[in-house]
Amino acid sequence: MDVLLDGLTQALSLLFSGDRETWAITLLTLRVSLAATAVAALVGVPLGAAIALGAFPGRRLLLAAANTGMGLPPVVVGLVVTVLLWRSGPLGGFGLLYTPTAMVVAQAVIATPVVVALVAAALQQVDPEFLVQMQGLGATRVRALLALGAEARLPLLAAAMAAFGAVVSEVGAAQMVGGNIAGQTRVLTTAAVLATSRGEFGLAIAFGLVLLLLAFAVNLVVTLAGQRPR
Amino acid sequence: MTSRSVTSRSVTSRSVTSRIGCRDLRVSAHGRELLQVPELDVAAGEVLAVLGPNGAGKSTLLRALGHLGGLHRGGDVLLDGRPAGSRDLRSAVAAVLQRPILRHGTVAANAATGLQLRGVGRGEARRRSAPWLDALGVGHLATRPARTLSGGEAQRVAIARALAVSPRVLLLDEPFAGLDATTRADLLADLRVVLDGLDTATVLVTHDRDEAVALAGRTALLVAGRIRQLGATERVLDRPVDVDCARLVGFTNVLPPAVTGRPDVCVARPEHCSAVNGRPAGLRIPGTVRRVVPLGGGTRVDVDTAAGTLACLAPGSDAPPPGHAAVVTVADQHLRRVCEPAR
Repeated sequence: MDVLLDGLTQALSLLFSGDRETWAITLLTLRVSLAATAVAALVGVPLGAAIALGAFPGRRLLLAAANTGMGLPPVVVGLVVTVLLWRSGPLGGFGLLYTPTAMVVAQAVIATPVVVALVAAALQQVDPEFLVQMQGLGATRVRALLALGAEARLPLLAAAMAAFGAVVSEVGAAQMVGGNIAGQTRVLTTAAVLATSRGEFGLAIAFGLVLLLLAFAVNLVVTLAGQRPR
Repeated sequence: MTSRSVTSRSVTSRSVTSRIGCRDLRVSAHGRELLQVPELDVAAGEVLAVLGPNGAGKSTLLRALGHLGGLHRGGDVLLDGRPAGSRDLRSAVAAVLQRPILRHGTVAANAATGLQLRGVGRGEARRRSAPWLDALGVGHLATRPARTLSGGEAQRVAIARALAVSPRVLLLDEPFAGLDATTRADLLADLRVVLDGLDTATVLVTHDRDEAVALAGRTALLVAGRIRQLGATERVLDRPVDVDCARLVGFTNVLPPAVTGRPDVCVARPEHCSAVNGRPAGLRIPGTVRRVVPLGGGTRVDVDTAAGTLACLAPGSDAPPPGHAAVVTVADQHLRRVCEPAR
């Protein structure tokens, strides 16, 4: 119990004493995971919508693939991205390995199936005649789709939160493609792993608590925005 | 406008007053033709009922007229006598579907949806749609969440939502189908009053001839994707042209020439047929009583005859017991001559 209490006090002191390194790690975590979620949304929302609303061959296969991809092991994603970005690899020329950009790429790969599967589920639970009815009230195709998005906004926000939660908490991919370089690619999860391996349990718990607080803060903002009465 | 109408090939004398219509409208799916309507016109202020059995293509016709949903369409939809594109139709048409698809939010917000989708601001849209909630008798529900409404209330809101955009064309796709008899009768009466005061061209798709009588001046009978008969509602419901149309409008007893000894196929409504012996006669067809079904305020007797099973509907509980011989009688004035089924 002492270890936990120590961790707690250490976390609070690290945060409120304005420890520069902790803040930098926290900000990088937020930046990388938000960017990855945004990229995943950019790719996943249209794809999920197409699966939910479209009629094309392979639609259900794609959905099954996305559902499977929700459980994609971050270590495997990290491994594949590492191989691709390796200096002699096919994308090695960009020199992205061990940069935050590489972490965004890997985390976006992890988050995209989550977004696709949950967006498809969110849109499929709206009445299948919804778009026709919106057209039947004078909506253009774009306005009808926006109305559909508004109708499903709570499950859509849940999809975004699930994607963010998946990437902010993963350690395998961040460790592999980022390398946990202090001041460059160290995020809360990799920092916690390092501290633990060094036996600095208090510090590790501190990082864990900061991670929890961060995830809670982001989700709180999104939840409050989504539940605003209309 | 007149000079352009004259030069336009497809314009006939009727379509000058036509608000919505079509020429050579065809819809197909998977290589199969679902609908083919060479010509249809509905004038401003008019209500046209499209009556048809399930699967006849009624909803398809409605959607094709409004360019709603993804259909493989051919031919032209006409607005004010001129071929119209989807954009023109979006601004002219409002539709009410079989299920009232309401959004999350209050009744007032739902009623304003159509105007908002057309770019009207939220406050303005609510102000303009509120009177329509009152007109349809749901004004007192304005602040209720739409999800808490009963089926009848929700459909009233859906109709108010459609009327709030002041549509030049109103498309109704069996909006009363899911409602109980009392709710439906009330809503039909209210809608009649509202539509009478408007200059909207209305197309009502239904399988219920009572709805056609209650709302529509003209009725079209749609069978297997084609309009078989079109005319004044009373006339269409009383003078079907063929056996399919006859069944559709309630002349369900079909009497072939071999049974009647008359040159044409005759049809009759069950309520005009009697299986009680000794009734004054026109046509008499002997048979055996198959079953007797007591209904509220009357009795239905099914009689097996040379013309198949004929249903007789009479007030009271007077009926011969099953298995007994009976003679089905129909007065001549209630018989209608029709064409053979077009198969």
